[in-house]
Amino acid sequence: MSVTDSDKAVLLGLYEEKRANLVRFFAARLGSRAEAEDLVQDLYIRISGMENLGPVDNPSALLHRIGSNLMLDRMRSQKRAGARDNDWRAVNTSTIAGHEVTDEPPADEVVAGRQRLRALVEAVQELPEKTRQAFQLHKLDGHSHAETARRMGISVSTVEKHISSALKTLTRRLR
Amino acid sequence: MSRSAQHLQEAAEWLTRLQRPEVEETDWLAFDAWLIEPGAKAAYDAVQAIDEEIFQRGSALRGELAEPRRAAAKRAFSIDWRWLGGLGVAGAAAAVALAIAPWGEMLPQADTLYSTARGESRAVQLADGSHIDLNTDSRISVRLEKDARRVTVHDGQALFDVAHDKARPFLISAGDETVRVVGTKFDVRRRDGQLSVTVLRGLVEVSTDGDDTPVRLRPGQMLEHVEGASGVTVTNVSADDQVGWRSGRLIYRDQPLSRIVADMNHYFDRPVRLEGENTAALRFSGVLIVDGQDAMVRRLTSLMPISATPTDDAIVLRGRPSAPN
Repeated sequence: MSVTDSDKAVLLGLYEEKRANLVRFFAARLGSRAEAEDLVQDLYIRISGMENLGPVDNPSALLHRIGSNLMLDRMRSQKRAGARDNDWRAVNTSTIAGHEVTDEPPADEVVAGRQRLRALVEAVQELPEKTRQAFQLHKLDGHSHAETARRMGISVSTVEKHISSALKTLTRRLR
Repeated sequence: MSRSAQHLQEAAEWLTRLQRPEVEETDWLAFDAWLIEPGAKAAYDAVQAIDEEIFQRGSALRGELAEPRRAAAKRAFSIDWRWLGGLGVAGAAAAVALAIAPWGEMLPQADTLYSTARGESRAVQLADGSHIDLNTDSRISVRLEKDARRVTVHDGQALFDVAHDKARPFLISAGDETVRVVGTKFDVRRRDGQLSVTVLRGLVEVSTDGDDTPVRLRPGQMLEHVEGASGVTVTNVSADDQVGWRSGRLIYRDQPLSRIVADMNHYFDRPVRLEGENTAALRFSGVLIVDGQDAMVRRLTSLMPISATPTDDAIVLRGRPSAPN
């Protein structure tokens, strides 16, 4: 079935409406708002160039599906191009050793950055013990929710409670 | 819970849910619906920004958290390290100033972290020509800046051979000690709250925070300090003994067994434990070759009045009751 101009207009209209929330959704998945913006821009190009759409029951779900496929393509091509640090794969990858950063930001930014890092360190250290442990295993050591649960001997849903509680506390203290 | 705290909690739960490996279409639809609530978008954006920042600062954050909590907790960080320039050693090309200063805990920014696992050692060649040998089970971070070269010893032991560069001092912080170097060779050890610095080449000047009189160290001298305590002790040692670890030898002169066991436990996963009243205090002098754990334990039991018993998860050493010691 070919797409009529009005089908596409509906989808593009919905895209405009959902655009900001799609960015929010993919920012969580990719660990980067900038990458999510890129991806959602690609999504626009993809749907505006579509020839065959088929009957669309739920255009919002379709936007999600196309976006998710683009994300998978992107991850595959990045894997070929070599790993990057701050994409979503960092969730599953340890990033401790060997990342040399040679950029030298201006001195005032260095100081501000150190103060910010200090605040972050202190906020993490003041988390309750189990929460801090789950946070560290998942966010810093890069273990999945399931692996973190296995290491701590607790359920995945408890791990997720600890991690969201850590995020909430850190956001309240540092926003 | 206030309305905004409620939103923050829901936002954090959503972000966590969206970071599961598998996320369904229905998750997106429910997320999109949740965002309609007033205040939800702002709360989510705040949580996501923090999450992203944690990603970006991940390795620096991780390095800092690897510090013992006591040491990292309450030190002022914004101390101007340049006051060290007034120590009067600037003229001596090969001089080293070692300061016990509060800025020892200055935070790394854009650091390179080097670490070794138990039983591993590692040679690190820095871009400035300096060389670092990292002993087993150790973690350091390095940052080369325009006006300073900074190293933090988080835990473990390292031998530094520092390339001479008068314009860019080499600053090493280990707990509450800081070593300032222009170009020299020395060993830094930080284990269990005990710090030591042994000089092989060059000069060392030590100043303690709150104490104006610096102590000067020469090659063959070792400075020891307990983190958080005041004061240092300086002894004459064989510097080669202190760096025997580089050639796989641990060299002891009249050291307690507890120290030897603590050292061994940094090489092997299976812990060696001490039992019996006076076992830990038994003294040992000699050279231990670092090879297999069983072989090392066997040699210790033949050199000392102790017996070894393997258990499920450890090796237990115990002083022999009939021993004359």
